Amino acid sequence: MAEHKRLPFVQTAWAVCAREWNAAFDSALAWLTIALAVLALNATALNEFFLAGRLELRALFETLPMVLVVLAPALGMRLWSEDLRQRTAELWLTLPVRTGAIVLGKYLALLGLYTLVLVGTLPLVILLCQLGDPPLLAIARGYLGALALGAALLAIAGFFSTLHAEALSAFVSAAFTAFVLLALGDARVMAILDGLLPGSGLGSLLGERVALLGAYQELVYAPSFDWISTLLPVLRLLLVTLLFLWGAQRGAARNRA
Amino acid sequence: MIRVEGVHKSYAGTHAVAGVSFTIQPGEIVGFLGPNGAGKSTLLRMLSTYLEPDAGRIEIAGIDTVRDPLGARARLGYLPEHNPLFEGMRVRECLEFLAHMRGLNREEREQRLGLAAEQLGLAAVLQKRVRECSKGYRQRIGLAGALLGDPAVLLLDEPTHGLDPLQVLALREFLHGISPGRAILFSSHILAEVAAISSRVLLLHQGRLLLDEPTATLEQRARAEGINLEQHIVRVIERAGGSTRLG
Repeated sequence: MAEHKRLPFVQTAWAVCAREWNAAFDSALAWLTIALAVLALNATALNEFFLAGRLELRALFETLPMVLVVLAPALGMRLWSEDLRQRTAELWLTLPVRTGAIVLGKYLALLGLYTLVLVGTLPLVILLCQLGDPPLLAIARGYLGALALGAALLAIAGFFSTLHAEALSAFVSAAFTAFVLLALGDARVMAILDGLLPGSGLGSLLGERVALLGAYQELVYAPSFDWISTLLPVLRLLLVTLLFLWGAQRGAARNRA
Repeated sequence: MIRVEGVHKSYAGTHAVAGVSFTIQPGEIVGFLGPNGAGKSTLLRMLSTYLEPDAGRIEIAGIDTVRDPLGARARLGYLPEHNPLFEGMRVRECLEFLAHMRGLNREEREQRLGLAAEQLGLAAVLQKRVRECSKGYRQRIGLAGALLGDPAVLLLDEPTHGLDPLQVLALREFLHGISPGRAILFSSHILAEVAAISSRVLLLHQGRLLLDEPTATLEQRARAEGINLEQHIVRVIERAGGSTRLG
């Protein structure tokens, strides 16, 4: 019999990521999802350029959270639901590798797909540069916010995909959760919640502590650049990402119980 | 090589496996027999570490499957009941990926893949996508995947499912060829297959182990009673209070 070697955690995650990345493009669904998202984001921003006559990406970053409510669950439901449905979860979970490495590899592939969407909006930045002198640092912060928010919502979608064998159930649960976590940061929702329980400050509390939209807006709409105001919201979104990835790992392992 | 001691597993209050114990030594091919729903797949899933037992202890090559599931997995090859495979991958890519997950380097992967392709006659489909392969080829791909790590323990859940008689015969010869030094446990609900392939039979019924005997002894007993092996097994089940009638 052969001697028994183990693939290190990082190499495992990387190999899983490469497999999942290739598998994603095996069907037209990934192409279609990415193309629709790129189209929606570019159309919104171009509309702002030409109709409002403003040389900025504000419209793109304003639209992105709502696009992500649909896009993140659409991509994230791939993380585990399909494996439960096709029974390949049994294949994954009997390989001599850590469940965490499998989940991380699958998640990184999803993050790569989402990054493709963001890359698809870069022609807008080139267009801005040709038409004038855009604030590139602010735009970079916007993209950082877009990446961090997308990473968190993908982790949430991935977590729900470990709980549902039906991709549709995973999609609906993730979309609902993403919508709530974003909506809680909306000023109107905060005001309504504050009004429901006067004096409690519930809406403001949830908006500041729980909502993801606040952290994203802090990054995207900051009037000037400084490291603290850039890193804090990124860390907040990263914490949410790690929390839900941990949940996804537990959810995937739960299938063994 | 495989040691099972007092293993229990329940689903929603129903005992799928109730207090099963047995040991399988290297070089043995053991057939796991039982009607549908007897608990064969549940027990194999626990052996493969996919499920954890509620009580009892399982050792694979001396490693406790609950304490060190990764260590146990590294020493076993497993072909699950429905033979799940990565459908969109080409057969070569799929097997290479599975070998990579087992920690094999590029050279070892090439060597093992070549060997598996030769032993199991997969050369013709290596460039095909898994979903394009016939049932017979899919079973062979699953078996190749289980053997890539050169495991000390091989667990096969219904490996003959969907195979034609010639393929069953080829599988039997193949298992005999790879059995030296390896503990092989395979499940089936077809007695003739179990008798033909295995040197020992485990009979599981309603989660309990009713019988654990060498195939030759069983055949002798059946002959002594003037009945065939099938009738003998039916008697064992009926004596244990089980029904073998439809409905």
